Amino acid sequence: MSDSKNSTCDEQAFDNFFKSHAKLLRSYLYYKFGDLDQAEDIVQDSFIKLWSNCAKVPLDKAKSYIYTVATNLGISIARHQQVKFKHQNYITQRKSDVTNESPEFVMLEKEYMEKLKNAIADLPERQREVFLLSRIDKKTYREIAELSNVSVKAIEKLMHKALLSLRKKIGNI
Amino acid sequence: MLDNKNDDIFLSRWINGELSPEELDEFQSHPEYKHFAKIKAGSDALDLSDYDIDTALSNIKSAKSNSIENHKKPVIKLWPYAAVAASIAIIFGLFFFNTNDSFTSSYGEKLAVTLPDGSEMILNAKSEASFDKDNWENNRTVSLDGEAYFKVKKGSRFTVTTKNGEVTVLGTEFNVQSQSDYFAAVCYEGKVSVSNTNEETILTAGKGYQKIAKSSSVSWTFEALEPSWINNISSFRSVPVKYIFKELEEQYNITIDTKGIDTSIIYTGTFPNNDIDVALKTVFSTLGLQYQLQDDKTVVLDK
Repeated sequence: MSDSKNSTCDEQAFDNFFKSHAKLLRSYLYYKFGDLDQAEDIVQDSFIKLWSNCAKVPLDKAKSYIYTVATNLGISIARHQQVKFKHQNYITQRKSDVTNESPEFVMLEKEYMEKLKNAIADLPERQREVFLLSRIDKKTYREIAELSNVSVKAIEKLMHKALLSLRKKIGNI
Repeated sequence: MLDNKNDDIFLSRWINGELSPEELDEFQSHPEYKHFAKIKAGSDALDLSDYDIDTALSNIKSAKSNSIENHKKPVIKLWPYAAVAASIAIIFGLFFFNTNDSFTSSYGEKLAVTLPDGSEMILNAKSEASFDKDNWENNRTVSLDGEAYFKVKKGSRFTVTTKNGEVTVLGTEFNVQSQSDYFAAVCYEGKVSVSNTNEETILTAGKGYQKIAKSSSVSWTFEALEPSWINNISSFRSVPVKYIFKELEEQYNITIDTKGIDTSIIYTGTFPNNDIDVALKTVFSTLGLQYQLQDDKTVVLDK
């Protein structure tokens, strides 16, 4: 509490911290546990927990604190109910203003997208997490590695495996 | 290269644009290339629905403002506020005797109530619900005796307390029924947590929970979008027949003489809430009982 700027008890600091981390935490939890609504609830509960323990958690420890709390909450919920990954939760967006779209994509049909979503939903949890954090949230392998405390190399291997699994699952369409 | 089994990060380098021009050239002429390019293009078209970060933050604020008070703030500082608050409370008290809003539905009546934050509550017949309107922002809690259907706006924790147990949610649609020692909760959207003294259960959309007296609880799944009583149909699923009689009595304001009936028979079925003849016939004929309605008030068995 001596330096209030570096404390999560400082409202301004807490707000900024929330704004810069809540969105990625939500994505991370969704990819891991498969339910977007549930992910938002967990984000809320974890930040409330951070607030009530703010005197004990300095700002530089807050990120790993919040990921640990959130992951534990997710696991304890998952123990009660087996959640099948809900791929309906995310949306397909045609970015028409993007010009470097490959010609293949222009021809992609709805059917292919459904198949792709199903294949992603069926990926092992860690592969799905890495694949989607990289492709949807545009996180670098280094940033993803820091989230789960593993080496960049490990993330690259998971990404490679994820692509091979998707390829195998989708087949020739 | 892709076919090199030792290169176990080739694809992750490719999708990240880290291949050298030669490598990329070589990969592009590989028969597998077009499949992977398709996966890349397809996954780049995926996105998550937007996250309203400001609303999320204000939800947390409203939830945490409770805890602030027991956190810091010396007591002395509160005195002037308390004094002002008290005098305001006395003045307003003259106009509004009761800040605890309560709603009661009578026999055969349904009552729709909009809660202060826009959430909806529909009371079924002969039910009573109350909540603290002024403290609603900090404490979304409804006390319920009877049956009600809730459509809850997203926000801080929303709790329905009954004497048989508690149901807690963040934002969803669900039905709660608590009559003497019968307790049931059904979730139509989102998810809810049901707890009583012995256990806690999480219900997701399409799941129901039921507990009768001391027997162990049961859960089931269903596909309806809202409870049938909203459309004037009462429905029951493996419930002792005495609770069906109770519901009939509450819907039609009648008395059923259960002498000579085994009220512990388990019953599954429905009856309409707007046609007493059909309702009585439906229930009694399935139980194989002959009955008579006297003075529109009392149902007795034909001996």
